[in-house]
Amino acid sequence: MSNDRQPLPEELLRLDDLHVSVHDGAATAVRGVSLSVRAGEIVGLVGESGSGKTLTCRAALGVLPAGCAVQGGTLSFAGRDLTALSRRGWERVHGSQMGAVFQDPASYLNPSITVGHQLAEVLRVKQGVPRRAARRRAAQLCAAVGLRDPERVLDQIPAELSGGMLQRVMIAIAISCEPRLLVADEPTTALDVTIQAEVLELIQRLRDERGLAVLFVSHDLAVVTQLCDRIAVFYAGEIVESGPTREIAERPRHPYTQALLRVASVGDFGRRELEVIPGQPPQVGADITGCRFAARCPVAEPACRAGEVEPVLVGDRHQARCVKAGRRVGELVSR
Amino acid sequence: MTAVTLTRTPAVAGPAPRRRRARAAAARVGGGLAVLVPIVFLSTFITYSLGALSNSNPAATILGQDAATPAAVAKLDRTLGLDHPLIVQYWHWLTQAVQGNLGQSWFTQIPVAQSIAQRLPVDLSIASLAVVLAVLIGGTAGMVAAVRRGGWFDRGVTLACSAVSTLPAFVVGIILVVLFAVTVHLLPANGYVGPATSIPQWLKYIILPSLALSLQVAADIARQLRTSLVSVLERNYIVGAKVRGLPYRRVLVRHALRNAAGPALVVLGNDFPQMLAGAVAAEAVFSLPGLGQLLLESAQTRDIPVVQGLLLVISTFVIVVNLIVNTTLNWLYRTDDGLLA
Amino acid sequence: MKRQETGSAAGRPRGHSVLASPSARIAVGILAVIAFLTIFGAMLAPQNPLAINAGQLFKGPSAQHLLGTDYLGRDVLSRLMAGTRLSVLTALEAVGIGLVLGTVPGIATVFLGRWFDFAANRVADALMTLPSIFFAVAVTAALGNGLVQAMVPVGILLAPGFFRVTRAATLEHARAQYVEAATLLGASKAHIIRVHVLRKVLPNIAVTTASMTAAALLAVSFLTFLGIGVQPPAPTWGGILSSDLAYLSQAPWAPFIPGLLIAVTVGALNALADAFRDRGSAGTLVLLEPVTEPEGVVDEQRSPAVA
Repeated sequence: MSNDRQPLPEELLRLDDLHVSVHDGAATAVRGVSLSVRAGEIVGLVGESGSGKTLTCRAALGVLPAGCAVQGGTLSFAGRDLTALSRRGWERVHGSQMGAVFQDPASYLNPSITVGHQLAEVLRVKQGVPRRAARRRAAQLCAAVGLRDPERVLDQIPAELSGGMLQRVMIAIAISCEPRLLVADEPTTALDVTIQAEVLELIQRLRDERGLAVLFVSHDLAVVTQLCDRIAVFYAGEIVESGPTREIAERPRHPYTQALLRVASVGDFGRRELEVIPGQPPQVGADITGCRFAARCPVAEPACRAGEVEPVLVGDRHQARCVKAGRRVGELVSR
Repeated sequence: MTAVTLTRTPAVAGPAPRRRRARAAAARVGGGLAVLVPIVFLSTFITYSLGALSNSNPAATILGQDAATPAAVAKLDRTLGLDHPLIVQYWHWLTQAVQGNLGQSWFTQIPVAQSIAQRLPVDLSIASLAVVLAVLIGGTAGMVAAVRRGGWFDRGVTLACSAVSTLPAFVVGIILVVLFAVTVHLLPANGYVGPATSIPQWLKYIILPSLALSLQVAADIARQLRTSLVSVLERNYIVGAKVRGLPYRRVLVRHALRNAAGPALVVLGNDFPQMLAGAVAAEAVFSLPGLGQLLLESAQTRDIPVVQGLLLVISTFVIVVNLIVNTTLNWLYRTDDGLLA
Repeated sequence: MKRQETGSAAGRPRGHSVLASPSARIAVGILAVIAFLTIFGAMLAPQNPLAINAGQLFKGPSAQHLLGTDYLGRDVLSRLMAGTRLSVLTALEAVGIGLVLGTVPGIATVFLGRWFDFAANRVADALMTLPSIFFAVAVTAALGNGLVQAMVPVGILLAPGFFRVTRAATLEHARAQYVEAATLLGASKAHIIRVHVLRKVLPNIAVTTASMTAAALLAVSFLTFLGIGVQPPAPTWGGILSSDLAYLSQAPWAPFIPGLLIAVTVGALNALADAFRDRGSAGTLVLLEPVTEPEGVVDEQRSPAVA
């Protein structure tokens, strides 16, 4: 537990005990999620599909799909409570405080308008930049995100650009009004591995140069450990473990995290043969007493199913939601 | 600040993207025009052969019963060129028509073109106002219904659309007359005053007929727009636009509506021929001196040249309007591979 | 244009009747009454539809005259009943013409090669743009003031609608893999059409027929309203409306009666079309390859309203 702290950078995004329901309240897909993102920090949310990480990031952005709603907990940005924010309020937050990029960038751009037009639109509408100047700024932004020949790109419609280029454009749009936080929902999942590396490098550079904080969602643990400063592991709608990346990678405390690392062969675990985690995650909203991973956990014991499992502090800003986490350091699952 | 270099060249090489897209659009329009030519010939030929279908002998009709001796008839036949085969007559008629000469009425000797020109403004007024009303009413209804999906407005609109679909325009016209002219003497039940005379009066006389005409099309537009808009509003790029912090109204109009309007415009283009038919209905109900009345009268007296001239003008008009509609759609939705659904 | 599988397991059981929904049942009921009136209407009318009764002008509904009397004292109900036959029969005439002229090329075009298809499509496009009422009236100029003649162009102009729908449906089903297999096994085109395509295309034809009949009926009403084919004093639905209009100030409620009759019949036909459509989509075969020309979102099943 190190204590040599400089004052921590400002906390930008904060989720406190967030609950999100789906299907018009029929089930709770995200329960008790608490996390924070500080300025200049890259925080990764990792988990399987359906684990609640995407819903959490959508809730943080205020763009939950139809039928989903925040049922409990609070959401705040730079100290300001956004939980019950009006549509107008969100319009002011989006773009200038928080930017977003998503998977499949082509679908998040208007297919019948040129990319340059959409980029300039944000500048003109949100910052009142006049038309010519907006175009120039747009070209600068394109160059800043690594697009070659920005002038040409600006005149093309999404269908004419490749996935990697489109993702750069989306990033350019997202940072155009200089937000302090970028929410990235699986931005590299749909891209080739080489392009993936470039986009990740771009995100890192944006953090280094502009102090941009990033909330990075992915199901790919390898990518997350490479890019992020801190990680939160999601399972069945809850955060089962969170902490600095190095801690999680070297000393995972939750059996699920350990299994994930093994499967992804990241960190101290070498790959011996193809690993799977047996079983299935529980149904969304399933009523389970106790640890939600217990059914698949190799070291589950009766205490796990007894009652609500709270997160336990197991290291420097490192928490795990496991009954056994606080015990002996180094207790790992044996093969 | 080093820019990260790309490992791939841009997907597109060649002329600048704008020019290429414009060329593609022009090609489509050109193709459309090329196909149009045989269509125009076909429909005008059918129009012309209607005359041949009738048993009456034009020369005899023109001369009148007393003067129609076989010799006189034969002489007039030659003068009118009626002894040539049908194709030749057709061609002659068509070339004359293109120059503005549609022949003369058999009975009044008034040039057909003149009769048509006299009455055209009436129908144009009604049809134009009807289009405007249809777009305004249908567009607004469809948009609000889509945005407040599932609400009472949405359900009301759906109900109204179904009701209007079952009512022909002339019945709607009659209902409007009953409501606004007979029960409440707000608007006139019949008659017409041209815009040259007095614009407020003109509007007063055409508002009911235009409204009657527009409701059916408004219903179609509303229904189509609602469907498209609901579908578009669920698309990711609307979320994308929202998340950029763009104001809701802008997202709705410039992104959602722009992409959803296509099919609705197609509906408008498809319904337009029916609007002309409806104009005839409106004329009948509201006693307006338009082309429809001319058609009915000349059909009754079997004044063939007038009928042919009218059909030619109307068909051409409809085809031209369709062309304009398609061109506008092509221009609005220029993508690499055609219209955006 | 990919669609999800809708096997019989996903929705309703096979062979479920068209009459499943209440609106369909009401629609069929209404149409049965209309059909009955078409055949027997004139005979069953309570009063003589032609009987002029000078003392009873513009009377409201009463025991003797259930729907009142018109400007000549004639019983409105009887006139409507008697007028059903002409309106309905000529509407069916137009639909019949459209059906034959439209569906035959519609199916054939898929099998007769690209040039035929191109030409047929262009002709259909051309015909679709022409306003049918104008042509109907124009034909009467040439052939005389008869309703039968007037409905012929209406029928011809309904054909493109049939053509488009049939062609799209045939395209969908003719590209199925089992058809490909049949062709490879040596089946002739005629056999394929008869055995495989026709049955699958029938539901679409049924839907279109219902909505086209609605359109034709509106056309008939309109034409008789304009005075085409009406030999007074013989009653027709549109003709009654027309005379009601002339005497609107004396009896403002009068036009609602025939108007309602037309609307109800047309509505029943549209509901029937919807019922056919719903039934037809249960248990349909699904293809994974897109149909060549996506139809977009525009709903072409709705008949081109004629008036």
